[in-house]
Amino acid sequence: MMRRLAGSLLLVAAVAGCGSGASQENPGGKELEVLYRVDVTWPHLEKMLANAKKQYEAAHPGVTIKLTPVQGTPEAYYTKLALLNRSPGSAPDLYYHDTFQVNADVAAGKLAPLDEHLAAWPDWETQFPDSVKQAARGGDGKIYGVPISTDTRGLWYHKEVFTKAGLPVPWEPKTWNDVLTAARTIKQRVPGVIPFSMYSTKIHGEATTMQGFEMLLYGTPGGTLYDDAQDKWVAGGKNFTDALSFVNTIHREELGPRLADAHNAKLADKMNLEWFPAGRLGISLDGAWTAAAWKPTSTKPWPEWTQKIGWTAMPTQNGQEPGSVSMSGGWVMAMSAYTPHKKEAFGFIAVATNKENSLAYSVGTGDLAPRRDVAADPAYSADNPSVKFFTDLAAVTHYRPAYEAYPKVSAQIQEAMEAVTTGARTPEEATAAYARALPAAVGGAERVVAR
Amino acid sequence: MTVATARSPAATGAPPGGPSRRGVLRWLLPLAPSLVLLAIFLAGPILWSVYIAFTNETLTGSASVNSQFVGFANFIRLFGDPNFLNSFLLTFVFVIGSAVIGQNTLGLVIALLQRGRGRVTRSVVNGVVIAAWVMPEIVAAACWFSFLAEDGTLNTVLGVSQEWLYTAPMVAVILANVWRGTAFSMLVYSAALSEVPADLVEAAAVDGAGPVRRLVHITLPLIRRSIMANLMLITLQTLAAFGLIYALTGGGPGTASQTTPLYMYEQAFRYFEIGYGSAIALVLLVIGALFSLVYLRLIKVEDA
Repeated sequence: MMRRLAGSLLLVAAVAGCGSGASQENPGGKELEVLYRVDVTWPHLEKMLANAKKQYEAAHPGVTIKLTPVQGTPEAYYTKLALLNRSPGSAPDLYYHDTFQVNADVAAGKLAPLDEHLAAWPDWETQFPDSVKQAARGGDGKIYGVPISTDTRGLWYHKEVFTKAGLPVPWEPKTWNDVLTAARTIKQRVPGVIPFSMYSTKIHGEATTMQGFEMLLYGTPGGTLYDDAQDKWVAGGKNFTDALSFVNTIHREELGPRLADAHNAKLADKMNLEWFPAGRLGISLDGAWTAAAWKPTSTKPWPEWTQKIGWTAMPTQNGQEPGSVSMSGGWVMAMSAYTPHKKEAFGFIAVATNKENSLAYSVGTGDLAPRRDVAADPAYSADNPSVKFFTDLAAVTHYRPAYEAYPKVSAQIQEAMEAVTTGARTPEEATAAYARALPAAVGGAERVVAR
Repeated sequence: MTVATARSPAATGAPPGGPSRRGVLRWLLPLAPSLVLLAIFLAGPILWSVYIAFTNETLTGSASVNSQFVGFANFIRLFGDPNFLNSFLLTFVFVIGSAVIGQNTLGLVIALLQRGRGRVTRSVVNGVVIAAWVMPEIVAAACWFSFLAEDGTLNTVLGVSQEWLYTAPMVAVILANVWRGTAFSMLVYSAALSEVPADLVEAAAVDGAGPVRRLVHITLPLIRRSIMANLMLITLQTLAAFGLIYALTGGGPGTASQTTPLYMYEQAFRYFEIGYGSAIALVLLVIGALFSLVYLRLIKVEDA
């Protein structure tokens, strides 16, 4: 077994070593390595970066852009990136980065602040709204990434399923109970259809935390993960239990997908590429980008979706102000603190996030555009009538408390969500377990406040 | 035999004036390249992982560049962690079920049944069993996945609809591991059985011992040392099994098939707690060592 362990460590070292060519000087020029994620059903970022590479290299002879893809889920991507970032030699010069991971890397000094470069880039002032600029702001107030995408979240529903169940279309639920009632009605009247689907297991990682749990927690009265006034993490409480109770109800009353599907890493593809087009799913709680699965740019287009699918906001728990809730995150292009070619690296970020490339990305992924000129472009909303609705959800949206400890807190939430989904724990037990685990996750009991 | 050939040049080459420096150099020099490689690539990572098991090292965040020595904190946390205890129990079930009972018994049975069969039968059976063993772990997992999946072979044959990987994940991974690993035990036992003197077995038969008595009183005692060695090897292999379970169930649903190596992976590479993950690895290493000690001890008892 010693050999096994050593073998796996070697493997890690080998993986880390793969990227070591990154910042080495070529005989005649410079090379910038860009790390990004790709998946069979998600080729959009790769297309956009390949285009940016062509443009940038044409304009800057002597600089080579090396695109390094990571195949797989966002979780697999986080792990590869974290391993490559372990040493300056293997760290990519530029990388696609989830905003909730930014502060952990800022704390470790692995990201380069961009303020100086941004000041000299006119687009930053003219095209990026202030709310979007905050996406990758570090604890020190500096900006650590240029947004590629932003998003909101809400409910998607199948109009034909609703009609068969005798439910009103358009559907406008006012409380959690309205959502549950609709799901129960579907279960009763349209057999063979999965009434409601959401991400609630560990395998879906941050999607379980954000699309699942936080969409519920931030819809409870005063529900939050982090108490801004006291600068402390909130340990459980009634809001927390209520959010978990919703998930518990879905699975104990069998209103959700079968547990085997809830644990399937490909749940999103099942929901959007299989169940919705086949009319086998009633409601899903998911991101603004969901429609990208059906658009002509998808790997499996479904043109009828504009007639068959409806969308609406996730209501607050009891319909209290502001009536609905949403969560926002997004991804940025970030620059490694270790890259020796900062000027060239920022030059590539500016090309990658210019209007043309941002537009291509947003149209492909269905993510909300961070740039004003992209949002105003007719091509952006052409095949997607849901864009305006999800953009307007910005009025009720919340941001994650993306502090350094957030990824660990998120892991604890996923733990609680899965325990409730499988029925291993009651909502109360899962909340208690979260409250117990929180101090260790955030670095001490003094950084936690009980509710 | 190998020991003798290795010794003779050193023995004859040593000058009569006693064990000089030259003598040491003579065997150290040719070994040096491999010793250096072993030190760098085997001892190095092991020592490093032992060290970080006592730190709060993480893969991201400030502790990734500025980790601190935390003494036994990781181990204290480990033994109070219900998920670790759960994983430990599952590892035990997995090792006993798939290695000690499954691979070991099945390997022995196949080897026994093959004795005295024709060459064709032996080649076919050997080929089939070894094919499963030669197959890369991930491919084996993919085979079992498509066999057990909801629209997979098993359900089609039985005419039922059952998510085996969800309803019986431990049974699934144990079966898959038995299927894959039996070849090793079979080969060990085939070799051991060929050493059993045929006249002894014949004599017992002449004395009126039936097949079962011949097996229990003649064959098994004669191959006891092979049994112990085989048990030790497959136990250690199975203890560290990762790829098969990871690809089949991912340790799920929930933590229902999350053996200790999977738990270690989750902590170290999903949640980035590499220090804590290394502590788990270290505990696993100690458990493996304990198992080996027990088996070695049993072999020694045999010898005495």
